[in-house]
Amino acid sequence: MNEARLGELLREVPIPEAEAAERRGQALVTAAFAECAAGDRAPRHRASLPRLVLALAIASLLAALLLTPAGAAVRDWVDDVFTAGVRDAEPALTRIPGGGRLLVQSDAGPWVVKADGSRRLLGRYREATWSPRGLYVGTASGRTLSAVQPDGTPRWSLSPGGVVSVPRWSPSGFLIAFRAGDSLRVTAADGNEDVLLAGHTGALPPAWSARGLALLAYVDAGGVLRIADTESGATIWSAEALPGSTGMEWAPDDSALLEISPRTLRLREVELGKLIERVRLGPPRNVSLPQRADVVDAALSPDGNAIAVLLSLGGARTPRSAVIVTDPTGAPSRTLLRTPGRLSELAWSPDGSRLLIAWPEADQWLFVPTEARGRVRAIGDISRQFAPGTSGTASFPQVAGWCCRSP
Amino acid sequence: MDAESGAVEGVSWQEPPPVRAEKKLIREAQQGSREAVADIYAAHWPRAHRAAYLVVHDAAAAEDIAQDAFLAAIDAIDRFDRRRPFAPWLHRIVVNRALDWARREALRRKAGEPEDQPEAETASTRIGDEMLAALKELPPEQRAVVVLRHLLGYTPGEIARMLELPRGTVNSRLRRALDRLRDLIEVQE
Repeated sequence: MNEARLGELLREVPIPEAEAAERRGQALVTAAFAECAAGDRAPRHRASLPRLVLALAIASLLAALLLTPAGAAVRDWVDDVFTAGVRDAEPALTRIPGGGRLLVQSDAGPWVVKADGSRRLLGRYREATWSPRGLYVGTASGRTLSAVQPDGTPRWSLSPGGVVSVPRWSPSGFLIAFRAGDSLRVTAADGNEDVLLAGHTGALPPAWSARGLALLAYVDAGGVLRIADTESGATIWSAEALPGSTGMEWAPDDSALLEISPRTLRLREVELGKLIERVRLGPPRNVSLPQRADVVDAALSPDGNAIAVLLSLGGARTPRSAVIVTDPTGAPSRTLLRTPGRLSELAWSPDGSRLLIAWPEADQWLFVPTEARGRVRAIGDISRQFAPGTSGTASFPQVAGWCCRSP
Repeated sequence: MDAESGAVEGVSWQEPPPVRAEKKLIREAQQGSREAVADIYAAHWPRAHRAAYLVVHDAAAAEDIAQDAFLAAIDAIDRFDRRRPFAPWLHRIVVNRALDWARREALRRKAGEPEDQPEAETASTRIGDEMLAALKELPPEQRAVVVLRHLLGYTPGEIARMLELPRGTVNSRLRRALDRLRDLIEVQE
């Protein structure tokens, strides 16, 4: 092998996804340059895109929309189409892809969005949580915890003292956990028997056993992760919590507990005895993530076989985001989406077929199929849809839950 | 085509524009021309991306590294001295970032942490590419000098300046790397 031959061999090494990578890079660099040009650089000659090129681009987009076969990679389609948001996003949510009902928290309060896109503002509540079958919504406002029907009719309220926050309805339907001030309390779902569970806890929302057992995971003020039996009030397991935790979630069969922080996703296997006081959690295992990526949000799929992870990449000047779907057992992850800019949150549809991904900078929600078939649906003008009658800028709402298909 | 299916796209290799044309493109980019930026990107992406990939052997990381290098270049394009060629500036960023990534990855493996993107590795072994497999046997520092010398065509002196190394170190790394590559490729053949 001489040196000329070595050069040839180096040029011939195939690179996986080379063309797609080049297209993604081009979209990113073009967007970054446009941002610089619009900001601190004042170009003397700004060439406008020739009409023919623009027409061809629109034609290609339409062709992609019409001809994308089942099985085509979602990420390429999305990468090619957007710069700051998906072009030609639908102007209104007229149907929820994947079905179910959404609970959406806006400045005005929580909204219930039905599968046909119709929506109702429940009232001036600051936080909200679905009951497990979507029959009620638990709400927090000031010092009051309430249960209301999805049409907004109040059922009951209680004021335990202290500002109420992070209400969480148990999957059994019988209990609601919430914070009042910095204490953690649990009440029966009819508003009776409100009891103190822990005196000083962190701000992290508690997480109920997904199978409907009376087990509640929470982090106390000292950073200790505790599993409490809410019937007896006793702590039945504890260990140091993941530093900087932003969320936690039980697997649907309670076989694992996921802890989320900006740098780490951590899983612990859960061993449940026949008597729930025999709960034991295994040693923590980190889920493999790409380097130089911060976790913005993560959620287990409804069947527990996958974790969707929203990652922030790049620096402050040129932020990028990616959504990957990874396997809790450690199998390789796959990238569902890469975008310039910042995405803020994700939520699984109840049937696990789609992810709702929020893109505040573009004022869009993306409904992304989780398997490599089907198309991404982008819905634009999200802020205004949840702030009707507002003049001026409306803030981008948050998804508080995506509930079961039918009550 | 995706890495999961093991499919690999064709090789793309475009020569960079002549010096005069490149100066013109840089000037136009400094004046805000998106077309000029697109032309610069098209001319330089394939080499930058390939250089990163040959050092890190990870498709996702190579993409990120090449993207970051271009974004750094775009950020600094206003301050770029048009009398200097663009490619060495870009390649210096790419190869140094790729080296940083490869060193970090080696440390992670040493600490027993799983690799980030094992699918890229799977794809490369599936296609049975001897060159890639042989390169992987080299330490990242030797891969970097091989890529700079034999892919991108820099002289040992230029490589020494890009990597801030003594020229003798570059020469010895090149010699050791070529000896090892010859052995590996001949054994495989």
